[in-house]
Amino acid sequence: MTRTADGAAIRADGLAAGYGGEPVLRDVSFTANRGQSVCVLGPNGGGKTTLFRVLIGELRAAAGRVEVAGRPAYVAQTERTRLDFPVTALDVALMGALARGRWWLPAGRTERAAAHAALERMGLDAVAGTRFGELSGGQRQRALLARALVQDAEVLLLDEPLAGVDPVSAALIGEVFGELRSEGRALLVSSHDVESARGFDLVLCLHGRQVCFGPPAAVLDRATLQATYGREMIVLEDGGPARAVTVQHHEHGGH
Amino acid sequence: MPSPLDLVDLPFLRDALFELVLLGVAGGVVGAWIVLRRLAFFSHAVGSAAFPGLVVADATGVSAAVAGLAVALGYAGGVRRASRAGREPGEATALLLAAALALGVVLASDVFESGAAVDRLLFGTLLGLDAEDLALSAAATGLAVAATLAFGRTWAAVAFDPDGTAALGVPAKLADFLLLALVAVAAVAAIPAVGALLVTAVYVLPAAAALLLADSVPGLIAWALALALAEGVAGLYLAYWLDVPAGPPVAVLGGAAFALVSVARGPARAGRRVRGPAPEAV
Repeated sequence: MTRTADGAAIRADGLAAGYGGEPVLRDVSFTANRGQSVCVLGPNGGGKTTLFRVLIGELRAAAGRVEVAGRPAYVAQTERTRLDFPVTALDVALMGALARGRWWLPAGRTERAAAHAALERMGLDAVAGTRFGELSGGQRQRALLARALVQDAEVLLLDEPLAGVDPVSAALIGEVFGELRSEGRALLVSSHDVESARGFDLVLCLHGRQVCFGPPAAVLDRATLQATYGREMIVLEDGGPARAVTVQHHEHGGH
Repeated sequence: MPSPLDLVDLPFLRDALFELVLLGVAGGVVGAWIVLRRLAFFSHAVGSAAFPGLVVADATGVSAAVAGLAVALGYAGGVRRASRAGREPGEATALLLAAALALGVVLASDVFESGAAVDRLLFGTLLGLDAEDLALSAAATGLAVAATLAFGRTWAAVAFDPDGTAALGVPAKLADFLLLALVAVAAVAAIPAVGALLVTAVYVLPAAAALLLADSVPGLIAWALALALAEGVAGLYLAYWLDVPAGPPVAVLGGAAFALVSVARGPARAGRRVRGPAPEAV
């Protein structure tokens, strides 16, 4: 993982990755610049999480290469976090301060101030002392985003941040996404919601390999969506632009 | 009923009391990380896996601490390697545990004819704790406290969200490896007092109950430490009174305390939404 030479935030070139056997993801080549948001669409097992794991450096590319500007922040699916864990929303936000390097020292005043500011930005200042497991799904997602804000990364990778999130949280998260883009940060966001992909600058479709990459208007057509989702999608025929509803189950097997 | 003051008046009980106080501190600190990192099965297995090493040490006069540590650390490395090779962590732990116990039984019954020593190794003893046992427990306790001060934030973050923490740039893999090694050392240190089969009485039961009571990681450590100390000292007194090894009464008290806390805290917390991946480190 290296800093990009030409100022791009993320660049993948002929990337393939897997878990020992055959690659579960191949032929991925795309570039996202600073201030751009990319929606990653694909079915379960399509390679979205695998791509994220390569980008955070947890998984080595089997072929090709990736470049990321700085160390990215990663927000995993909320449903993969533990609810029995004795931490508050503030504790979770403070974990982002570990990225500042002094992981062996207790959190200092500056770090606590950054965590409080991030919680306030995510509308969680009133529940800073509430146990993470007792927050609503949307609040938990916002707490994890607050951790990413404290990390202060140039690139943020978010795995289905809007899945199962209440409308208030979804609106707030969308607002913060806009602010992060205007700050020049790049966002890579995986989603099952084809309609929400229209709000992104770019769309990357994966189905074990890269199906398509480009602006939503160019990518989100019936043929591309069917190549991406196959039978896991119903295309709604109502005369307008292709609208699609995915019908897959949420089984996150790590791909 | 014997006087509780015998625990400090009688020299052999004083040693046992000192040992259980040291293990109580280690049990609170290490136990907290064991339940947070979901290493309960591993901690049981690594203690039991030291059994063949202890049988050999007992029969040949080799230092039990050295032999136990060698086997336990080798076991921890073996489990980690098996997991990396693609085996599910619990499966790898169980496979190596069965192999280690079988080897220990064969060595004890057919090779060295260990006899009564087997009971002592499996369930602990009040008698015969020597300076080496106390020194190992003191070292394990000191190591646990020092490592918690240095790695506590990282361990908590990794246990909470392994993938998210990997992106933070902290030495997560090193911290994980050190935690496994610390659990192995702590388990071996507890074997003389409570036995290879009951190290979880010190390291898992108090911390599991504490997890139902605590609202923060420092709170979890404090509760686990208090429970481990209380159960250790009370268990020692019961062992003296009933003339049994220390391990079983400490384990029974740990189980009873967990049941009481579960009932007192109600189903909302006792069955607490344990969701998400099981991020076993091994």
